[in-house]
Amino acid sequence: MSLDIANITKNFGGMRVLDGVSLSVPTGSLFGLIGPNGAGKSTLFAAISGFQKQETGEVRLDGTRIDALTPHARARAGLVRTFQVPREFGHLTVRENLCAAAPNQTGESLLGLFFRPARVAREEAEIAAEAEEIMQRLRLTQVADQPARLLSGGQKKLLELGRALMLKPRFILLDEPFAGVNPVLIAEIAERIRDLNATGIGFLIIEHDLEALTRLTPYIAVLDRGRIIAEGAPDAVLADVQVREAYLGGAV
Amino acid sequence: MSNFPQLIANGLVQGLFIAMAALAITLAFSIARFPNAATGDVMTAGAYTGLATQSATGSLILAGIVAIFTGAAISLAADRLVFRKLAGRAVVASLVASIGVAFVIRAVLGVTFGLSQLVYDIPLTRAKLYWGVRLTPLDLQVAGAVALALALVFGILHLTPIGRQMRAVADDRDLARVSGVRPERVMLALWMISGGVAGLAGMMLGIKTVVEPELGWSMLLPAFTAAILGGIGSPGGAVAAGLLLGVVQEMSTPFVGFNYKLAIAFAALLGVLLWRPSGLFGKREGVR
Repeated sequence: MSLDIANITKNFGGMRVLDGVSLSVPTGSLFGLIGPNGAGKSTLFAAISGFQKQETGEVRLDGTRIDALTPHARARAGLVRTFQVPREFGHLTVRENLCAAAPNQTGESLLGLFFRPARVAREEAEIAAEAEEIMQRLRLTQVADQPARLLSGGQKKLLELGRALMLKPRFILLDEPFAGVNPVLIAEIAERIRDLNATGIGFLIIEHDLEALTRLTPYIAVLDRGRIIAEGAPDAVLADVQVREAYLGGAV
Repeated sequence: MSNFPQLIANGLVQGLFIAMAALAITLAFSIARFPNAATGDVMTAGAYTGLATQSATGSLILAGIVAIFTGAAISLAADRLVFRKLAGRAVVASLVASIGVAFVIRAVLGVTFGLSQLVYDIPLTRAKLYWGVRLTPLDLQVAGAVALALALVFGILHLTPIGRQMRAVADDRDLARVSGVRPERVMLALWMISGGVAGLAGMMLGIKTVVEPELGWSMLLPAFTAAILGGIGSPGGAVAAGLLLGVVQEMSTPFVGFNYKLAIAFAALLGVLLWRPSGLFGKREGVR
Protein backbone atom coordinates (compact mmCIF):
# COMPACT_ATOMS: atom_id res chain seq x y z
CA MET A 1 0.00 0.00 0.00
CA SER A 2 1.74 3.11 -1.19
CA LEU A 3 2.19 5.74 -3.84
CA ASP A 4 4.17 4.17 -6.65
CA ILE A 5 5.56 6.05 -9.59
CA ALA A 6 7.11 3.96 -12.33
CA ASN A 7 9.25 5.11 -15.20
CA ILE A 8 7.66 8.51 -15.84
CA THR A 9 8.96 10.49 -18.79
CA LYS A 10 7.86 13.94 -19.88
CA ASN A 11 9.12 16.15 -22.70
CA PHE A 12 8.62 19.86 -23.16
CA GLY A 13 9.36 20.63 -26.78
CA GLY A 14 12.63 18.83 -27.42
CA MET A 15 13.61 18.90 -23.75
CA ARG A 16 13.31 15.76 -21.69
CA VAL A 17 12.23 17.10 -18.32
CA LEU A 18 11.48 13.77 -16.65
CA ASP A 19 13.59 10.85 -17.77
CA GLY A 20 12.23 7.62 -16.41
CA VAL A 21 11.48 8.63 -12.83
CA SER A 22 10.51 5.82 -10.47
CA LEU A 23 9.74 6.32 -6.82
CA SER A 24 8.02 4.20 -4.25
CA VAL A 25 6.60 6.15 -1.34
CA PRO A 26 5.26 3.91 1.42
CA THR A 27 1.92 4.62 3.05
CA GLY A 28 2.15 7.00 5.94
CA SER A 29 5.69 8.05 5.25
CA LEU A 30 7.35 11.43 5.31
CA PHE A 31 9.28 11.51 2.08
CA GLY A 32 11.42 14.44 0.95
CA LEU A 33 12.20 15.27 -2.66
CA ILE A 34 15.08 17.62 -3.37
CA GLY A 35 16.99 18.71 -6.43
CA PRO A 36 18.45 21.79 -8.10
CA ASN A 37 16.22 24.30 -9.89
CA GLY A 38 14.94 22.90 -13.16
CA ALA A 39 15.48 19.30 -12.07
CA GLY A 40 11.82 18.54 -12.83
CA LYS A 41 10.39 18.38 -9.31
CA SER A 42 7.30 20.46 -9.94
CA THR A 43 6.77 18.75 -13.29
CA LEU A 44 6.82 15.43 -11.47
CA PHE A 45 4.14 16.71 -9.08
CA ALA A 46 2.10 17.92 -12.04
CA ALA A 47 2.33 14.48 -13.63
CA ILE A 48 1.41 12.67 -10.43
CA SER A 49 -1.56 14.95 -9.74
CA GLY A 50 -2.80 14.88 -13.32
CA PHE A 51 -2.02 18.43 -14.46
CA GLN A 52 0.54 17.27 -17.02
CA LYS A 53 0.09 14.22 -19.15
CA GLN A 54 3.25 12.17 -18.99
CA GLU A 55 4.60 10.50 -22.15
CA THR A 56 5.20 7.15 -20.49
CA GLY A 57 4.97 5.69 -17.02
CA GLU A 58 2.46 4.74 -14.39
CA VAL A 59 1.16 6.23 -11.17
CA ARG A 60 -0.42 3.87 -8.67
CA LEU A 61 -2.14 4.71 -5.43
CA ASP A 62 -2.40 1.69 -3.17
CA GLY A 63 -1.84 -0.51 -6.18
CA THR A 64 -4.58 1.06 -8.34
CA ARG A 65 -3.51 2.86 -11.47
CA ILE A 66 -4.63 6.48 -11.36
CA ASP A 67 -2.62 7.97 -14.22
CA ALA A 68 -5.61 8.11 -16.56
CA LEU A 69 -7.83 9.96 -14.07
CA THR A 70 -8.62 13.68 -14.18
CA PRO A 71 -7.06 15.90 -11.48
CA HIS A 72 -10.30 16.14 -9.47
CA ALA A 73 -10.81 12.38 -9.63
CA ARG A 74 -7.27 11.83 -8.29
CA ALA A 75 -7.99 14.31 -5.52
CA ARG A 76 -11.13 12.40 -4.61
CA ALA A 77 -9.19 9.14 -4.74
CA GLY A 78 -7.05 10.47 -1.91
CA LEU A 79 -4.07 12.06 -3.63
CA VAL A 80 -4.02 15.79 -3.04
CA ARG A 81 -1.42 18.38 -3.98
CA THR A 82 -0.60 21.91 -2.95
CA PHE A 83 1.05 24.57 -5.07
CA GLN A 84 4.50 26.15 -4.77
CA VAL A 85 3.01 29.63 -4.51
CA PRO A 86 0.10 29.20 -2.11
CA ARG A 87 -3.25 29.51 -3.86
CA GLU A 88 -6.62 30.17 -2.34
CA PHE A 89 -10.17 30.97 -3.38
CA GLY A 90 -9.60 34.64 -2.63
CA HIS A 91 -13.20 35.81 -2.44
CA LEU A 92 -14.34 32.89 -0.32
CA THR A 93 -13.88 32.93 3.42
CA VAL A 94 -11.42 30.56 5.04
CA ARG A 95 -14.35 28.42 6.13
CA GLU A 96 -15.81 28.37 2.61
CA ASN A 97 -12.39 27.52 1.20
CA LEU A 98 -12.42 24.37 3.28
CA CYS A 99 -16.06 23.47 2.65
CA ALA A 100 -15.65 23.87 -1.11
CA ALA A 101 -13.18 20.99 -1.01
CA ALA A 102 -15.48 18.48 0.67
CA PRO A 103 -16.06 15.54 -1.65
CA ASN A 104 -19.37 14.01 -2.73
CA GLN A 105 -21.87 16.65 -1.71
CA THR A 106 -25.48 16.14 -2.72
CA GLY A 107 -25.79 19.90 -3.02
CA GLU A 108 -23.20 19.88 -5.78
CA SER A 109 -25.99 19.70 -8.31
CA LEU A 110 -29.03 21.94 -8.65
CA LEU A 111 -31.26 18.86 -8.71
CA GLY A 112 -29.87 17.62 -5.42
CA LEU A 113 -30.28 21.09 -3.99
CA PHE A 114 -33.97 21.40 -4.87
CA PHE A 115 -35.12 17.83 -4.42
CA ARG A 116 -33.15 16.65 -1.41
CA PRO A 117 -32.86 19.76 0.76
CA ALA A 118 -32.90 17.82 4.03
CA ARG A 119 -30.00 15.67 2.97
CA VAL A 120 -28.08 18.71 1.71
CA ALA A 121 -28.63 20.42 5.06
CA ARG A 122 -27.42 17.37 6.99
CA GLU A 123 -24.30 17.07 4.84
CA GLU A 124 -23.64 20.78 5.17
CA ALA A 125 -23.71 20.45 8.94
CA GLU A 126 -21.24 17.56 8.79
CA ILE A 127 -18.95 19.44 6.43
CA ALA A 128 -19.10 22.54 8.62
CA ALA A 129 -18.16 20.49 11.68
CA GLU A 130 -15.27 18.94 9.81
CA ALA A 131 -14.05 22.33 8.63
CA GLU A 132 -14.29 23.60 12.20
CA GLU A 133 -12.17 20.76 13.49
CA ILE A 134 -9.53 21.27 10.81
CA MET A 135 -9.41 25.00 11.47
CA GLN A 136 -8.84 24.28 15.13
CA ARG A 137 -6.11 21.80 14.38
CA LEU A 138 -4.38 24.29 12.09
CA ARG A 139 -5.07 27.29 14.36
CA LEU A 140 -7.11 29.07 11.71
CA THR A 141 -10.30 29.47 13.76
CA GLN A 142 -9.79 33.17 14.44
CA VAL A 143 -9.68 33.96 10.71
CA ALA A 144 -12.52 31.57 9.78
CA ASP A 145 -14.80 34.22 8.32
CA GLN A 146 -12.20 36.38 6.65
CA PRO A 147 -11.85 36.35 2.87
CA ALA A 148 -8.88 34.08 2.20
CA ARG A 149 -7.08 36.69 0.10
CA LEU A 150 -6.45 38.71 3.26
CA LEU A 151 -4.45 35.94 5.00
CA SER A 152 -0.71 36.16 5.55
CA GLY A 153 1.59 33.96 3.49
CA GLY A 154 2.03 31.46 6.29
CA GLN A 155 -1.70 31.26 7.00
CA LYS A 156 -2.28 30.60 3.31
CA LYS A 157 0.11 27.65 3.54
CA LEU A 158 -1.88 26.30 6.45
CA LEU A 159 -5.10 26.88 4.55
CA GLU A 160 -3.71 24.82 1.64
CA LEU A 161 -3.01 22.04 4.07
CA GLY A 162 -6.51 22.37 5.50
CA ARG A 163 -8.13 22.26 2.07
CA ALA A 164 -6.18 19.11 1.35
CA LEU A 165 -7.35 17.57 4.63
CA MET A 166 -11.02 18.12 3.79
CA LEU A 167 -10.61 15.50 1.06
CA LYS A 168 -9.53 12.92 3.64
CA PRO A 169 -6.38 12.21 1.68
CA ARG A 170 -4.07 9.23 1.96
CA PHE A 171 -1.25 11.20 0.36
CA ILE A 172 -0.47 14.87 0.23
CA LEU A 173 2.05 16.29 -2.23
CA LEU A 174 3.48 19.45 -0.70
CA ASP A 175 5.28 21.80 -3.08
CA GLU A 176 7.71 23.89 -1.01
CA PRO A 177 5.68 24.29 2.17
CA PHE A 178 8.42 26.38 3.80
CA ALA A 179 9.23 28.77 0.93
CA GLY A 180 8.82 32.40 1.98
CA VAL A 181 7.72 31.49 5.48
CA ASN A 182 9.44 32.89 8.58
CA PRO A 183 11.39 30.47 10.82
CA VAL A 184 8.81 30.45 13.63
CA LEU A 185 6.04 29.53 11.25
CA ILE A 186 8.27 26.93 9.54
CA ALA A 187 8.51 25.13 12.87
CA GLU A 188 4.76 25.37 13.29
CA ILE A 189 3.96 24.09 9.81
CA ALA A 190 6.45 21.24 10.31
CA GLU A 191 4.73 20.44 13.58
CA ARG A 192 1.33 20.32 11.89
CA ILE A 193 2.71 18.06 9.15
CA ARG A 194 4.14 15.73 11.79
CA ASP A 195 0.77 15.64 13.61
CA LEU A 196 -1.06 14.78 10.41
CA ASN A 197 1.50 12.17 9.51
CA ALA A 198 0.90 10.56 12.88
CA THR A 199 -2.74 10.06 11.81
CA GLY A 200 -1.57 7.97 8.87
CA ILE A 201 -1.39 10.48 6.02
CA GLY A 202 1.64 10.11 3.78
CA PHE A 203 3.58 13.14 2.58
CA LEU A 204 5.81 13.67 -0.42
CA ILE A 205 7.48 17.03 0.09
CA ILE A 206 9.46 19.18 -2.32
CA GLU A 207 11.58 21.67 -0.41
CA HIS A 208 14.63 23.84 -0.99
CA ASP A 209 15.26 24.48 2.69
CA LEU A 210 17.35 21.35 3.23
CA GLU A 211 17.80 21.91 6.93
CA ALA A 212 14.09 22.22 7.65
CA LEU A 213 13.30 19.35 5.34
CA THR A 214 15.81 16.86 6.72
CA ARG A 215 14.67 17.66 10.23
CA LEU A 216 11.18 16.61 9.14
CA THR A 217 11.66 13.73 6.72
CA PRO A 218 13.66 10.61 7.59
CA TYR A 219 13.93 9.67 3.94
CA ILE A 220 14.78 11.76 0.89
CA ALA A 221 15.29 11.32 -2.82
CA VAL A 222 17.27 13.54 -5.16
CA LEU A 223 16.03 14.48 -8.61
CA ASP A 224 18.58 15.84 -11.07
CA ARG A 225 17.95 16.55 -14.74
CA GLY A 226 14.86 14.41 -14.71
CA ARG A 227 16.40 11.38 -13.00
CA ILE A 228 16.47 10.11 -9.45
CA ILE A 229 20.18 10.01 -8.65
CA ALA A 230 20.04 8.98 -5.01
CA GLU A 231 17.63 8.14 -2.22
CA GLY A 232 17.91 7.11 1.37
CA ALA A 233 18.49 8.62 4.78
CA PRO A 234 19.32 12.36 4.50
CA ASP A 235 22.87 12.07 5.91
CA ALA A 236 23.86 9.33 3.53
CA VAL A 237 22.22 10.98 0.54
CA LEU A 238 23.75 14.38 1.18
CA ALA A 239 27.16 12.78 1.57
CA ASP A 240 26.86 11.16 -1.84
CA VAL A 241 29.42 12.61 -4.24
CA GLN A 242 27.05 12.61 -7.18
CA VAL A 243 24.47 14.49 -5.16
CA ARG A 244 26.95 17.05 -3.96
CA GLU A 245 28.05 17.70 -7.52
CA ALA A 246 24.52 17.99 -8.85
CA TYR A 247 22.99 19.86 -6.00
CA LEU A 248 25.79 22.07 -4.80
CA GLY A 249 27.25 22.64 -8.25
CA GLY A 250 30.36 20.67 -7.41
CA ALA A 251 31.30 22.98 -4.53
CA VAL A 252 32.42 20.06 -2.42
CA MET B 1 -40.39 70.08 -17.27
CA SER B 2 -39.23 66.59 -16.50
CA ASN B 3 -40.41 64.56 -13.61
CA PHE B 4 -37.14 63.20 -12.29
CA PRO B 5 -38.55 60.83 -9.65
CA GLN B 6 -40.67 59.33 -12.44
CA LEU B 7 -37.62 58.94 -14.66
CA ILE B 8 -35.69 57.32 -11.85
CA ALA B 9 -38.51 54.85 -11.24
CA ASN B 10 -38.74 54.04 -14.96
CA GLY B 11 -34.99 53.70 -15.03
CA LEU B 12 -35.00 51.25 -12.14
CA VAL B 13 -37.60 49.08 -13.87
CA GLN B 14 -35.58 49.23 -17.08
CA GLY B 15 -32.44 48.64 -15.05
CA LEU B 16 -33.80 45.39 -13.64
CA PHE B 17 -33.77 43.89 -17.15
CA ILE B 18 -30.26 45.13 -17.79
CA ALA B 19 -29.26 43.79 -14.38
CA MET B 20 -30.55 40.32 -15.12
CA ALA B 21 -28.91 40.19 -18.54
CA ALA B 22 -25.66 41.48 -17.04
CA LEU B 23 -25.88 38.87 -14.28
CA ALA B 24 -26.23 36.10 -16.87
CA ILE B 25 -23.23 37.47 -18.77
CA THR B 26 -21.01 38.00 -15.76
CA LEU B 27 -21.69 34.52 -14.34
CA ALA B 28 -20.77 32.90 -17.65
CA PHE B 29 -17.71 35.11 -17.91
CA SER B 30 -16.37 34.33 -14.46
CA ILE B 31 -16.75 30.57 -14.82
CA ALA B 32 -16.68 29.71 -18.54
CA ARG B 33 -14.29 32.62 -19.20
CA PHE B 34 -15.75 34.24 -22.28
CA PRO B 35 -18.25 37.01 -23.04
CA ASN B 36 -21.33 35.13 -24.16
CA ALA B 37 -22.93 37.16 -26.95
CA ALA B 38 -25.73 34.59 -27.24
CA THR B 39 -27.18 35.84 -23.94
CA GLY B 40 -29.40 38.37 -25.73
CA ASP B 41 -30.97 35.80 -28.02
CA VAL B 42 -31.49 33.39 -25.14
CA MET B 43 -33.56 36.23 -23.68
CA THR B 44 -35.51 36.51 -26.92
CA ALA B 45 -36.17 32.76 -26.82
CA GLY B 46 -37.53 33.12 -23.29
CA ALA B 47 -39.82 35.94 -24.46
CA TYR B 48 -41.25 33.88 -27.34
CA THR B 49 -41.71 30.58 -25.50
CA GLY B 50 -43.21 32.43 -22.55
CA LEU B 51 -45.62 34.17 -24.90
CA ALA B 52 -46.60 30.89 -26.55
CA THR B 53 -47.19 29.29 -23.17
CA GLN B 54 -49.21 32.21 -21.93
CA SER B 55 -51.46 32.28 -24.97
CA ALA B 56 -51.93 28.50 -24.77
CA THR B 57 -52.60 28.24 -21.04
CA GLY B 58 -53.33 31.77 -19.91
CA SER B 59 -50.94 31.37 -17.02
CA LEU B 60 -48.12 33.87 -16.62
CA ILE B 61 -46.50 31.80 -13.90
CA LEU B 62 -46.37 28.75 -16.15
CA ALA B 63 -45.03 31.02 -18.89
CA GLY B 64 -42.27 32.18 -16.56
CA ILE B 65 -41.30 28.60 -15.75
CA VAL B 66 -41.22 27.68 -19.43
CA ALA B 67 -39.11 30.76 -20.21
CA ILE B 68 -36.62 29.80 -17.49
CA PHE B 69 -36.35 26.22 -18.69
CA THR B 70 -36.07 27.29 -22.32
CA GLY B 71 -33.18 29.60 -21.49
CA ALA B 72 -31.48 26.90 -19.43
CA ALA B 73 -31.97 24.23 -22.10
CA ILE B 74 -30.67 26.40 -24.94
CA SER B 75 -27.63 27.43 -22.90
CA LEU B 76 -26.87 23.83 -21.95
CA ALA B 77 -27.20 22.74 -25.57
CA ALA B 78 -24.97 25.58 -26.77
CA ASP B 79 -22.38 24.58 -24.19
CA ARG B 80 -22.46 20.92 -25.11
CA LEU B 81 -22.44 21.48 -28.90
CA VAL B 82 -20.17 24.51 -29.17
CA PHE B 83 -18.65 26.19 -26.13
CA ARG B 84 -17.27 23.05 -24.49
CA LYS B 85 -15.42 22.16 -27.67
CA LEU B 86 -13.68 25.54 -27.67
CA ALA B 87 -12.75 25.57 -23.99
CA GLY B 88 -9.05 26.20 -23.52
CA ARG B 89 -8.73 28.03 -26.85
CA ALA B 90 -8.49 31.79 -27.26
CA VAL B 91 -11.36 33.77 -25.74
CA VAL B 92 -12.02 35.32 -29.16
CA ALA B 93 -12.87 31.88 -30.56
CA SER B 94 -15.61 31.39 -27.96
CA LEU B 95 -16.86 34.96 -28.37
CA VAL B 96 -17.20 34.62 -32.15
CA ALA B 97 -18.80 31.21 -31.72
CA SER B 98 -21.31 32.69 -29.29
CA ILE B 99 -22.24 35.33 -31.88
CA GLY B 100 -22.85 32.45 -34.27
CA VAL B 101 -24.99 30.71 -31.67
CA ALA B 102 -26.94 33.97 -31.28
CA PHE B 103 -27.74 34.07 -35.00
CA VAL B 104 -28.79 30.43 -35.01
CA ILE B 105 -31.17 30.99 -32.09
CA ARG B 106 -32.64 34.06 -33.78
CA ALA B 107 -33.09 32.21 -37.07
CA VAL B 108 -34.87 29.31 -35.38
CA LEU B 109 -37.12 31.73 -33.50
CA GLY B 110 -37.86 33.64 -36.71
CA VAL B 111 -38.88 30.46 -38.54
CA THR B 112 -40.97 29.24 -35.61
CA PHE B 113 -42.71 32.41 -34.51
CA GLY B 114 -42.43 34.72 -37.51
CA LEU B 115 -40.80 38.14 -37.67
CA SER B 116 -43.69 40.42 -36.73
CA GLN B 117 -44.06 42.09 -33.37
CA LEU B 118 -46.17 40.27 -30.82
CA VAL B 119 -47.45 41.34 -27.43
CA TYR B 120 -48.39 39.50 -24.29
CA ASP B 121 -52.13 39.47 -23.80
CA ILE B 122 -52.35 41.16 -20.47
CA PRO B 123 -55.30 43.26 -19.33
CA LEU B 124 -54.44 46.93 -19.24
CA THR B 125 -54.25 48.31 -15.77
CA ARG B 126 -54.43 51.83 -14.57
CA ALA B 127 -51.23 53.33 -13.25
CA LYS B 128 -51.29 54.45 -9.65
CA LEU B 129 -49.43 57.23 -8.02
CA TYR B 130 -46.85 56.29 -5.44
CA TRP B 131 -45.25 59.36 -3.87
CA GLY B 132 -45.73 61.23 -7.12
CA VAL B 133 -44.40 58.41 -9.26
CA ARG B 134 -46.75 56.79 -11.70
CA LEU B 135 -46.37 53.00 -11.82
CA THR B 136 -48.66 50.27 -13.10
CA PRO B 137 -49.32 47.16 -11.02
CA LEU B 138 -47.64 45.29 -13.87
CA ASP B 139 -44.44 47.29 -13.30
CA LEU B 140 -44.48 46.30 -9.67
CA GLN B 141 -45.20 42.65 -10.43
CA VAL B 142 -42.39 42.48 -12.97
CA ALA B 143 -40.03 44.19 -10.57
CA GLY B 144 -41.08 41.81 -7.80
CA ALA B 145 -40.53 38.74 -9.98
CA VAL B 146 -37.11 39.96 -11.07
CA ALA B 147 -36.13 40.77 -7.49
CA LEU B 148 -37.23 37.30 -6.44
CA ALA B 149 -35.17 35.70 -9.22
CA LEU B 150 -32.12 37.76 -8.24
CA ALA B 151 -32.54 36.77 -4.60
CA LEU B 152 -32.75 33.12 -5.61
CA VAL B 153 -29.57 33.32 -7.70
CA PHE B 154 -27.64 35.06 -4.94
CA GLY B 155 -28.98 32.57 -2.44
CA ILE B 156 -27.69 29.71 -4.56
CA LEU B 157 -24.33 31.40 -5.03
CA HIS B 158 -23.74 32.21 -1.38
CA LEU B 159 -25.67 29.69 0.67
CA THR B 160 -25.35 26.37 -1.14
CA PRO B 161 -22.60 23.84 -1.89
CA ILE B 162 -22.88 24.24 -5.67
CA GLY B 163 -22.77 28.02 -5.34
CA ARG B 164 -19.66 27.75 -3.21
CA GLN B 165 -18.05 25.56 -5.84
CA MET B 166 -19.07 27.94 -8.63
CA ARG B 167 -17.43 30.80 -6.79
CA ALA B 168 -14.39 28.61 -6.15
CA VAL B 169 -14.03 27.84 -9.85
CA ALA B 170 -14.43 31.54 -10.65
CA ASP B 171 -11.57 32.33 -8.25
CA ASP B 172 -9.11 29.61 -9.31
CA ARG B 173 -10.11 26.85 -11.68
CA ASP B 174 -6.99 24.69 -11.22
CA LEU B 175 -7.14 24.92 -7.47
CA ALA B 176 -10.80 23.89 -7.64
CA ARG B 177 -9.82 20.84 -9.64
CA VAL B 178 -7.21 19.71 -7.12
CA SER B 179 -9.76 20.34 -4.39
CA GLY B 180 -11.96 17.66 -5.91
CA VAL B 181 -14.49 20.05 -7.47
CA ARG B 182 -16.04 18.41 -10.53
CA PRO B 183 -15.87 20.97 -13.33
CA GLU B 184 -18.69 19.39 -15.35
CA ARG B 185 -21.11 19.75 -12.43
CA VAL B 186 -20.18 23.39 -12.05
CA MET B 187 -20.59 24.07 -15.77
CA LEU B 188 -23.97 22.38 -15.76
CA ALA B 189 -25.17 24.56 -12.89
CA LEU B 190 -23.65 27.66 -14.47
CA TRP B 191 -25.47 27.27 -17.80
CA MET B 192 -28.74 26.36 -16.12
CA ILE B 193 -28.61 29.44 -13.91
CA SER B 194 -27.24 31.84 -16.51
CA GLY B 195 -29.68 30.58 -19.18
CA GLY B 196 -32.61 30.54 -16.77
CA VAL B 197 -31.93 34.11 -15.70
CA ALA B 198 -31.66 35.24 -19.33
CA GLY B 199 -34.85 33.40 -20.33
CA LEU B 200 -36.84 34.95 -17.50
CA ALA B 201 -35.38 38.39 -18.19
CA GLY B 202 -36.44 38.10 -21.82
CA MET B 203 -39.97 37.18 -20.90
CA MET B 204 -40.27 40.04 -18.43
CA LEU B 205 -38.91 42.46 -21.01
CA GLY B 206 -41.38 41.04 -23.53
CA ILE B 207 -44.25 41.66 -21.12
CA LYS B 208 -43.07 45.22 -20.56
CA THR B 209 -42.49 46.02 -24.23
CA VAL B 210 -43.09 44.00 -27.40
CA VAL B 211 -41.80 40.60 -28.38
CA GLU B 212 -39.76 40.80 -31.55
CA PRO B 213 -36.67 39.07 -32.91
CA GLU B 214 -34.28 41.86 -31.87
CA LEU B 215 -35.57 42.03 -28.28
CA GLY B 216 -32.58 40.46 -26.61
CA TRP B 217 -29.94 41.48 -29.12
CA SER B 218 -30.67 45.15 -28.47
CA MET B 219 -30.13 44.52 -24.74
CA LEU B 220 -26.62 43.19 -25.27
CA LEU B 221 -24.78 46.50 -25.31
CA PRO B 222 -26.31 47.85 -22.09
CA ALA B 223 -25.91 44.40 -20.51
CA PHE B 224 -22.23 44.13 -21.40
CA THR B 225 -21.75 47.71 -20.24
CA ALA B 226 -23.30 46.87 -16.88
CA ALA B 227 -21.23 43.68 -16.57
CA ILE B 228 -18.02 45.62 -17.18
CA LEU B 229 -19.17 48.58 -15.10
CA GLY B 230 -19.84 46.24 -12.18
CA GLY B 231 -16.37 44.71 -12.43
CA ILE B 232 -16.64 41.75 -14.74
CA GLY B 233 -17.13 38.51 -12.85
CA SER B 234 -18.86 40.20 -9.93
CA PRO B 235 -22.57 39.26 -9.80
CA GLY B 236 -23.43 41.92 -7.21
CA GLY B 237 -21.60 44.56 -9.22
CA ALA B 238 -23.42 43.57 -12.39
CA VAL B 239 -26.82 43.99 -10.77
CA ALA B 240 -25.93 47.32 -9.17
CA ALA B 241 -24.43 48.62 -12.40
CA GLY B 242 -27.47 47.41 -14.37
CA LEU B 243 -29.81 49.41 -12.16
CA LEU B 244 -27.52 52.42 -12.35
CA LEU B 245 -27.29 52.23 -16.10
CA GLY B 246 -31.07 51.94 -16.41
CA VAL B 247 -31.48 55.11 -14.38
CA VAL B 248 -28.77 56.97 -16.30
CA GLN B 249 -30.37 56.03 -19.61
CA GLU B 250 -33.81 57.21 -18.51
CA MET B 251 -32.51 60.39 -16.92
CA SER B 252 -30.73 61.28 -20.13
CA THR B 253 -33.78 61.00 -22.37
CA PRO B 254 -35.08 64.53 -21.73
CA PHE B 255 -31.69 65.82 -22.87
CA VAL B 256 -30.70 63.55 -25.73
CA GLY B 257 -33.98 61.94 -26.71
CA PHE B 258 -35.24 58.40 -26.64
CA ASN B 259 -33.39 57.30 -29.76
CA TYR B 260 -29.98 57.92 -28.26
CA LYS B 261 -30.39 55.85 -25.10
CA LEU B 262 -28.06 53.21 -26.50
CA ALA B 263 -25.48 55.85 -27.27
CA ILE B 264 -25.52 56.75 -23.57
CA ALA B 265 -24.81 53.13 -22.70
CA PHE B 266 -21.99 53.08 -25.19
CA ALA B 267 -20.53 56.32 -23.86
CA ALA B 268 -20.71 54.90 -20.33
CA LEU B 269 -18.93 51.75 -21.52
CA LEU B 270 -16.16 53.77 -23.16
CA GLY B 271 -15.81 55.93 -20.08
CA VAL B 272 -15.46 52.94 -17.80
CA LEU B 273 -13.00 51.18 -20.06
CA LEU B 274 -10.85 54.31 -20.15
CA TRP B 275 -11.05 55.40 -16.53
CA ARG B 276 -11.99 52.39 -14.45
CA PRO B 277 -10.99 49.28 -16.39
CA SER B 278 -11.65 47.09 -13.35
CA GLY B 279 -15.18 48.43 -12.93
CA LEU B 280 -16.84 51.07 -10.81
CA PHE B 281 -16.49 49.02 -7.67
CA GLY B 282 -12.83 48.44 -8.36
CA LYS B 283 -12.75 44.76 -7.56
CA ARG B 284 -10.39 42.50 -9.41
CA GLU B 285 -12.50 39.46 -10.06
CA GLY B 286 -12.03 36.00 -11.41
CA VAL B 287 -10.06 36.91 -14.47
CA ARG B 288 -6.44 35.80 -14.35
